[in-house]
Amino acid sequence: MEKKNIDRRKFLGAGVLAGATVIGAGALLASCGKEATNASLGLPPILKGAPKGRKLKAGLVGAGNRGTGAAINFISAGPDLEIIAVCDVFQDKIDAIRERFKSFKLEIPEKNCFTGFDGYKKMMAIEELDVVLLATPPRFRPEHFLEAIQNKKHVFMEKPVAVDPVGIRSLIATAKKAEALGLCVVTGTQRRHQEDYIETYKRVKGGAIGRLTSAKAFWNQDHVWFRTREADWDDMTYMVRNWNNFCWLCGDHILDTHIHNIDVINWFMGKTPISAIGNGGRHRRVTGDQYDFFNIDFDYGNGVSSHSYCREIDSCANRTGELVMGTEGYTNCVNTIWDLNGNVKWQFEYPKDENGNAMSQLKIPAYVQEHMHLVHAIRKGEYVNQAEQTALSTLTAIMGRTAAYTGQLVTWEEIMKSDMQLGPKEIKFGPVDMKFEVPIPGTPPNI
Amino acid sequence: MRFSNIFKGGKTKYWLVALGIFLCAIILGSVNQISNYTSSDKYCVSCHIHPVQDQNWRLSEHYNNKSGFVTHCVECHLPPKGHGYLPAKLKHGIKDVYGKLFKDSADFDWEAKKTLENAKKYVYEQSCIRCHENLFPVTLSVNGSNAHLQYVNTPQDQKPNCINCHLNVGHYDKSNLHAHNTNFGVTETLAKEVFTEPTKVEKFENFVEKVPETSLSFEMVAIPEGIFEMGSPEKEELRKPDEGPVRKVHLSKFFMGKAEVSWEEYLEFFKATASQGRKEAIINQPVTDAITGPTPPWGAPDQGWGKGTRPAITMSWKSASTYCLWLSKKTGKKYRLPTEAEWEYACRGGTKDPYFFPGSPKSFTSTGLFKKIFGADTTVINSFVAYKENSQSKTREPGSVKANQFGLKNMLGNVAEFCSDYYAPTAYKTASGDVLNNPAGPDSGQEHVIRGGSFKSDAKDVRSAARDFTKTKAWLMTDPQMPKSVWWYSDSNDVGFRVVCEMQ
Repeated sequence: MEKKNIDRRKFLGAGVLAGATVIGAGALLASCGKEATNASLGLPPILKGAPKGRKLKAGLVGAGNRGTGAAINFISAGPDLEIIAVCDVFQDKIDAIRERFKSFKLEIPEKNCFTGFDGYKKMMAIEELDVVLLATPPRFRPEHFLEAIQNKKHVFMEKPVAVDPVGIRSLIATAKKAEALGLCVVTGTQRRHQEDYIETYKRVKGGAIGRLTSAKAFWNQDHVWFRTREADWDDMTYMVRNWNNFCWLCGDHILDTHIHNIDVINWFMGKTPISAIGNGGRHRRVTGDQYDFFNIDFDYGNGVSSHSYCREIDSCANRTGELVMGTEGYTNCVNTIWDLNGNVKWQFEYPKDENGNAMSQLKIPAYVQEHMHLVHAIRKGEYVNQAEQTALSTLTAIMGRTAAYTGQLVTWEEIMKSDMQLGPKEIKFGPVDMKFEVPIPGTPPNI
Repeated sequence: MRFSNIFKGGKTKYWLVALGIFLCAIILGSVNQISNYTSSDKYCVSCHIHPVQDQNWRLSEHYNNKSGFVTHCVECHLPPKGHGYLPAKLKHGIKDVYGKLFKDSADFDWEAKKTLENAKKYVYEQSCIRCHENLFPVTLSVNGSNAHLQYVNTPQDQKPNCINCHLNVGHYDKSNLHAHNTNFGVTETLAKEVFTEPTKVEKFENFVEKVPETSLSFEMVAIPEGIFEMGSPEKEELRKPDEGPVRKVHLSKFFMGKAEVSWEEYLEFFKATASQGRKEAIINQPVTDAITGPTPPWGAPDQGWGKGTRPAITMSWKSASTYCLWLSKKTGKKYRLPTEAEWEYACRGGTKDPYFFPGSPKSFTSTGLFKKIFGADTTVINSFVAYKENSQSKTREPGSVKANQFGLKNMLGNVAEFCSDYYAPTAYKTASGDVLNNPAGPDSGQEHVIRGGSFKSDAKDVRSAARDFTKTKAWLMTDPQMPKSVWWYSDSNDVGFRVVCEMQ
């Protein structure tokens, strides 16, 4: 009897508390006024730093340039964040990142370092790991992501997230598995974490340029890099060291870099395109099987399309960015909105430097903001999972690439169901029996 | 004011209220008790006497699993509370009581009740979802993931039912293989004479075709040249508008398979041409030398009903056409699927009535309340057609029915048959001229004509003029592969084909 009374009192207490919470939440909502919040629009919070909380230990998969960068970005995001494990297919990459961390007076214990193609499995089996950072060439992302979720880790992963539709479907399914387990996933589509992009997006979403009618997206830059084959490298070693030049590892530069712009257009349009048609070619590359340039028309339906183009050739006019046209104006998506006569309607206010002059960029780089977001989500319990959204943008790029390589019109339905899977059947060091012909669209003329 | 007088004295009022509460509690309590009691497995099987099904349930994943959790009868066979639990309970209860009083459960056709179409009436989607909330458990396989991704991305009104794929999770069925059937057809060896030469056809008369390098032989029937009226007149009972207007058609003579292509016949083709992986499945051109045939099927294409002389089923229209190419190459003759006109001409055998035997659709059909209760007089139709009322929901061997005027068996019923024509509901309207000569249907289209109805059809749909068509998307709904098979339908088990051979 007494026990029951206590239970009843507890119950009442809980009830009052629940009531108070509802009222409190209501008041909070009311105080925000009519303006949509970041959360209500599915946007990440803009943070000055990750919140305090339980120590989070992370492991890095892929200790190349971006992987090492991501690891440093992670520990810079806030307090009590550590990199305690690393894996890479090559020992020299592991040595290099350990040296780098030593220079910050941080130690990555040798027992937590793994090499080889299955090193990631050993690393992810480490129980004290809370978070894994996935930064290998994208061909391996789907299997790494699945292993991470099976080992109950939160995930940060770089874009693109796969190179073919088989990988994309695997990744989306794993994203849903992560969601079911409450494991957070943040992706390296940094524009979605930039305050200037976010503020512009909110205004466009609020109708600042009316109904969207067309878009363009572009990423034109010098050629990136290539490795010359060394005498003692077998086929696989050479390709992985020179991964940025092989389609099965990289997905071509329409995935590697242009995906940022493609993702912004999908974001602003609020959907993925229904088909793609386009062209591309190769003039200047010296290794691998990829194109130098792509020109794709992505059809978003109802006459709305996005002209998407990218190039990696030295000594050409370079330009990166986006533009979205609406019935009442247009925007560069990053910081400015114009009316149809070209008058600036709104501009993002960048922070001021020590001398009081407006800076041209944000104080906190988006690369770090991404990790703040992840840590915030884990520590505050505000769930985030960007994997599917980034997978859909990656698939958009794959659809564009396929349209250029084949010369055909490629529909979303086709590419979503395609069994295209790139690369050798078995991933191991040694000789690789594959032909690397540069794709040629269509058929030659009859002579 | 007057009512309050009744309660004057105060105490009586309290007593009455107390009594009311007490009675309410008793009634509510007993309703709850009754509801719980009548939802126990024990209570269920007191009316539902089906020892085989009880046993299958114990062998299924829903009983025999690692966690030791048992899913009880009503957890699948009634919707969850809040989703029409009580109305469904009442509906099933009345039916069950009626069945218990007036029927003998041993007479029930349990095989038929196991089929997907019937199972959907007794298994509630909401009940599946109530327990299986997470469609993406971490252990889900690649094929499972693909299938569930497709499920979540399908609009609500087109979503398949859970049991479209998971039919046997509640009652174990050992014949239901849930994997690529790589041994399919391989183990069937026939210790018979192997033919070296195809049959030579010099005269226009029935012949037995012999396929070289196999033990395969089958009967072909000579169908003479003639003119007939294709389609059904507007006064025909239970017809559909796509069967008209009636038109006059002239057909040259041809040979037609006496029966639908059997498993025995189809498996010879499968063994000779089956491709190992999915990549080999390239589009066939009649001119190519080597014919690439079907990939290994998923599960059991014969549905566990047996092969032999039962008609081959679940192969796609493309597979059936490729079979004809293979047969032509083997025999040096020209085999192909019949045109829709050839099919109807051969089926009618000179008759103009709804069936090639006496009787009317209205007297045979089992639709309508009266027929449902008292049954239809089906003596005549039973001897010619394997259809819904006599098939036990399976294909049958052709020996079980009588032939039509031309000597063809199972033109109506058993399995519906592919024709070479594209389907258009208005196909007969667009034709012009007095007498059409060997019409071959519309020039283009999406789906192909199927004719004759099947073992699942009501009598009204096995009329000589009744038309139907392939439904590619629906028939591949639960195929988990990406892209889906071009050789096998995952969700059609009552369509087959028969061949025609052109007179040369």
